[in-house]
This record gives sequence, C-alpha cells and structure tokens, in this order.
Amino acid sequence: MQVSFNIPGPLRGFTANRSAVQLELKEGADLLSALLDLFRACPGLRDRILTESGELRHHVNIFVENENVRYTGGLTTPLPVGAEVSIVPAISGG
Amino acid sequence: MAATMIGQTLDHYRIVSQLGEGGMGVVYRARDEVLNRDVALKLLAPGTVDRVGRGHLLREAQTASSLSHPNICTIHQVGQTGDDFYVVMELIEGRSLTDLLTATGPSMETVSRYGTQIADALAHAHGRGIVHRDLKGSNVMVTAEGRVKVLDFGLATRLEREEISELTLSYDSLESKLVGTLPYMAPEVLRGQKGDHLSDLWALGVLLYEAAAGKLPFRGNTGFEVSSAILREPPPPLPAAVPYGLAAVIQRCLMKERVERYQQASEVRAALETLQGAVLQSRHPSEETRGPRTLVLRGMQHLTVKNGDVLLLVGTNKGAFLLKSSRDRTRWDVAGPYFHGQGIYAMAYDGRNGRHRLWVSTNSLMWGTFLRSSDDFGRSWTNPLEATIRFPAESGASLRNIWQICLGRNDEPQTLYCGVEPAALFESRDGGESWSLARALYDHPHRPRWMPSNGGLFLHTIVPDPGAKERMYVAVSAGGVYRTEDSGSTWQARNTGIRVVFLPEKYPEFGQCVHKIVLHESRPERLFLQNHWGLYRSDNRGDSWQDIARGVPSDFGFTMVMHPYDPDCVYILPVESDEFRCTPEGHLRVYRTRNAGGSWDSLERGLPQKGAYETVLRDAMSSDSLHQVGIYFGTRSGKLYASRDEGKSWKKIVEGLPQIVCVKAAVIQMDEAPKARPYSKAKPAAVRKTLAAKSVKRQKRR
Repeated sequence: MQVSFNIPGPLRGFTANRSAVQLELKEGADLLSALLDLFRACPGLRDRILTESGELRHHVNIFVENENVRYTGGLTTPLPVGAEVSIVPAISGG
Repeated sequence: MAATMIGQTLDHYRIVSQLGEGGMGVVYRARDEVLNRDVALKLLAPGTVDRVGRGHLLREAQTASSLSHPNICTIHQVGQTGDDFYVVMELIEGRSLTDLLTATGPSMETVSRYGTQIADALAHAHGRGIVHRDLKGSNVMVTAEGRVKVLDFGLATRLEREEISELTLSYDSLESKLVGTLPYMAPEVLRGQKGDHLSDLWALGVLLYEAAAGKLPFRGNTGFEVSSAILREPPPPLPAAVPYGLAAVIQRCLMKERVERYQQASEVRAALETLQGAVLQSRHPSEETRGPRTLVLRGMQHLTVKNGDVLLLVGTNKGAFLLKSSRDRTRWDVAGPYFHGQGIYAMAYDGRNGRHRLWVSTNSLMWGTFLRSSDDFGRSWTNPLEATIRFPAESGASLRNIWQICLGRNDEPQTLYCGVEPAALFESRDGGESWSLARALYDHPHRPRWMPSNGGLFLHTIVPDPGAKERMYVAVSAGGVYRTEDSGSTWQARNTGIRVVFLPEKYPEFGQCVHKIVLHESRPERLFLQNHWGLYRSDNRGDSWQDIARGVPSDFGFTMVMHPYDPDCVYILPVESDEFRCTPEGHLRVYRTRNAGGSWDSLERGLPQKGAYETVLRDAMSSDSLHQVGIYFGTRSGKLYASRDEGKSWKKIVEGLPQIVCVKAAVIQMDEAPKARPYSKAKPAAVRKTLAAKSVKRQKRR
C-alpha cells in the first residue's frame, strides 16, 4: 500500500527539497514501521523526529490524516491504505 | 553496454539516458523512484573496479559522500548490485568549465568568481582529509546561476607508477584516456608520489592559468613533452591583460617546490577574494570618537579571516554570530545569524594541528541538538545525518542540550569533550567524528541525587588539568565539582568548604550549584570558582575551598575568566542575587582580582553606570591571547562589550542581538606564523618590553 509523508520545511534538506515523500509499504504497517522505511529512504530524518531512546520528540507532532497520533496509540498507530502522514512542528517558541 | 542500460533499473534508480563517458566509467541520468528526483549515476567500468579494488573504492566514495558544500557535487549513495558498482550523485545541469571557456574565451571575471568557489570547495574537503587528485576543467561544472560544482571528489584513483612512466615517456600523440588529466598533474605526482592537498592546489593553479590565458600552461604534442614542461619549465608569461595580483596568485600555485606554494586552499580563496575587491570590511573610516565601528553583514555574508585576526564566536538563544577584527581590535565585522532560530549554548574554536575549525552546538526546540563544525569560518557547516552525541539506548536518556565544547590538551589534538544536559560528559578521541559517554561519571552513585538548577540538570564546565593527563575537573548544576585522578575511571566530589543556601545542610559533600571553575596552566593545583552565591579558591586541586569574596558588591554571579598570562588575575561579573539576576544598582561593572582573590577592583570605564540592569551568563565572557589581553562579554539583552586593554576601558561593539549565552574569543594563527607561545612563568619578553616602553612614555608625558 502507498503512504504519503508530508515533510515540514526545516527537514526538506533531507528529502531533496520535497514536501511529500511517497513510499510503498506492506499492508497493515503501523506508523513506526512506516517511519523506519522513511528513515531508510531519507537518512537524516530519524534523529530529528525521534530521540535516541526512540520517542517522538516533545515538540514534534505526527498526524495520520487529521488525528494527532498522541491520541491514537502513538508510534503503534495503524495506517489505513493510502494514508497521509504529516510531520508538524508543535506550537512552541520562546 | 551503454545502450543496453537505458531503461534498466539499479536498486531504485531507473536509467534514463547517457550523459557522458570517462576513464572511470559511464555516467547516466537516472530517476530516483523513491524520492522522485533525477540524479546522475556513474556506473564504474569493471576495469577500474578491478584495478583499485572494491573495498578501497567503496571507502573512498563513502568518505567523499560525507562532504556537504554548495560547491561540491553531493554524493547521495554508493551502491553495488551484482557486479555493478555505482555512485549516485547530485544531477548538475550546466556546462563544464572547459566548455564554458571554449565558448566565451578567457575572462578575469571567470577566474575570480569561479576560482574562489573552487578554492572554497577544496578548503572544505581538505579540512576533512579528502583530496581530489584529479581536478581539471572537465571536472568543474558551472550551473546556469553561475555556481561552480566540483565533481568526483575522492573518486579519482591513484595512478600506478607504471602508468605514469608509460604516459610521461610516451612519444605518441596524446590520445589516451588520461589526455585530460596529464596537463593538470603536479610535478611530484609525475615523480610517482601520491597526490595530496598541495597537488590539488597545483591543479587549481593550472585551472586558473587556463581560465586567465585561454590556454594550458604546460603544453606539448606528446605525453613526454607535456610532462617535461611540468617538471622543468616555468609556465609561459600570462597575457598583459591579466592583473599583476592575479598573476601572482597563479604563479604561487604553480611553484614546482611544494613548500613555495600556498599551503592551504583557504589562502588561495582569501587571495582571490582580495583581488575581487569584495572583502567584507567596515566601510566607515576609523575615528576613535565615533564609537564602535561595526558593520552587520546582512543577507548572510561571510567573514574573510586572515592570519592574526581576532575572531569572536557569539552564541545566542536564537542563532550564532561571528565577529572579526584585525589585531588592533578597533573595527569589527559581524556575520550571522547562523542557524537562526536555534539556541547556541556552546561554541569553540579549534586551532590545534593546523586546523581552523569552529564547533557549535545547535539546539532546535523541535528537531533536537546537533554538534556541527565549519572549517571555513562559517561559509559551510557540517550537518550530520545522525546525531554524533547520543546516550546509549539502554540508558533510556536522551540528549536535551550541549552546554559546553572543550578542547583536549594541546598534546592531544584529536581529543574533545562535551558537557551536556541531562548531566553527562562525552569524549571524542578522533577529532569530533565519534563520541562516547563518560560512563563512570554517568553511573556515579551521587547522580540520582543531583538536583536540577534553574536551567536544568546539566554539566557545563570541563577543566582538564594541563599538566596531568589523568586529572580533570567537571562542574554540574546542581551537583557540584567532581574530579578524576585516573582518566575518568572514578570521580570524587570535591566541594569541601563550598556553601549551599538551598539545602538545610550548608556544607554537604555534593549538591552545590557551581557556576564556573577556572585555572591557569602555570598553577594547575589552584582553582577559582564562581558559585551560586560565593567566590572560592582552592590551593589543593579542589580538596578544600576558601571564600575569596572580599570587596565585591555581590558574590552571586555566573561567569569567570582567567587571565591568559597572569595566574593571579581573574575576571568576574557580579549580579545582585539569585532572585534579581541583574547587575547591582544598575551599574554594569566587571570585577578583577590581581592577587588571586585577596582583593577585587571594579572595571567600569566605558560601561553604562545608570539603569544598566544587565545579566551576563556563565559562558558569555572570554579573553583573547594578545598583548594587551582583550576581554569580551555579552549580555542577556544582546549587547557585546570589548576591552582591548585588559579591562581598563570598554566599548560596546554590537547591540541588538538576541540573548547572548556564549562568547569565545580566538586569535587566528595560520601557517608558518608562530603558534601561541608556550607559557613561561615569568611575563613573556614581549610583554615586559611593552610595559617598559609604556612606563617610559608615561614618564615623558609627565
């Protein structure tokens, strides 16, 4: 199945400046396995999205379709066929 | 073979068309099916692979793929499918420099514009130990926007001795596959030595000559004639239209004796930039009464740094700035912000071993903390794909910030340390390529009882003992001072006599909120310490501490700086209290002791003494190593002050920056220029002389 990742501006240096990356994944893949495939295709994204202990960075949100995965099982959130996954920096500053 | 490849797929690359063919193989235009982009794919000829060896080729290409620079063609991937060995690169739409010159004829503009960019690319690669070995007109592409891209870094294979003698003794006309390479070869390469960065500079000289004169400097009808010209003949004089300065640069690149050439690509770049007349300097005439002359370079222009210049690295909570002055320190150029929007809590300049490397820790609220470096004074920075400083997975910890970058001792030029949050020490023994957690300190039984301070729980101060390799001090907020006597195998709390105000027990074994420790290399047993309330000195390597806060308006403060030559002289900047973290009564004053804490005097000439409620943070003050010594500090309100007379008088050199958290000063020493003097206990002869001359002058004035 195909999954499309929306890549925020600050990370496009690792995706050849593309705002979306499409990957072909195994049917029934969850968010984590999709992310691992994304990190293989675009090295450099991993350490900017996850901490070294494998957690989603505090000020990064991931949405599957329009739902923040923090409310749907985090990295184990299942992905529907043709899912659109958005990586979005949180509202924060200082 | 070429025709059969079109339409085929290697890994996830679909071959679209052939772009060219060279000695090493065929280059195709290909489509990256995953990232949906066009790339250049070089399929190496089996002969090349066999001759050089797969392992070697793979290593070279992988090393070259670490280069990230606007003037270097990026290598995306090195791969192998079956017997096919291939390299995937950035696709560059443009023309080779050779084609361009053929079409337009020689041009001085071409030389300065493109030469600077090629020299910049070489400086970047050489700084990372990568030499090109086959720089020539056909390996330099120029895009439609006029940007140079150097191709095939690190992919050129070393020619074997037999091939070179075959080539140089050949009386046949030049038809071999090496026809494009021979005229760029340095004399030492023709003699069979391995090409190095100086042979790259020779090739750059040939390129510049060709661009300026419209023909190659060493010509001939056969390989023998060309190589004899390279080995024995001076290059023919350049046309009269070539300006003298440019001719001199080219001539110096083409010195047959290696020691007579430029020794670094950055020198060639600097020389070419000077010729362009585009050196970034303050445009205001120098007049003492007009206050600081500072030019903020907008639109991310960069500094051009020369031997003897003073460089200030300024980290703020929203980006990094670089300032430069000649050694008179009257005019400053400012470049930045670099990494705008990111917190820059630690910076360092590493001039050991002939390097000119800037280190910076970048902290993005969203995307994490990375250690990055620049070998060309900020023109280009590394951007590691993976974080090099990371906690081991089983620790469950994750890096929040890097608070300190500390160089190892001078005789350990590959050693670096970082102090981080959560409180831990990391160490690199390979010049910052790879890092490991200092395990014994991380596993210290005290660690679970350390308490976070206002800024978090972090290790911010690292002081290697300059005289004893096995000894080092670190400071943790709030854990206190820890010392190792066995190169980090064990660590002991060393806080006896340091008072704590925020615990019921006033003198505990550990838990102090230490803000800074300094020592002088000539008196390594004596430490000075600025505490969260309290100024202290230890005369016994931290075993015990005495209060030395006599005559300061407040013993609260963050920063502390050691005088580089006087072991009894320390600078601090007191703030009122932990609640009101501003300078007392609105007076901005530096305090200095010249008798190891026996007394302190106030240094305020040129600093605002009314309504100046400023804060200077723990790493925001620094000294240079000139005579007289320069002292610099930055405030939380974004003002940067400098003194070029050891603190007697001050000037604001820039204002309006974001909150300044880090200031580091360095005097840049390039090439044959003498390295910083090793410390001698007596005042250096030069200083004595200056002081003597001054006292004579003073007497005369009287």
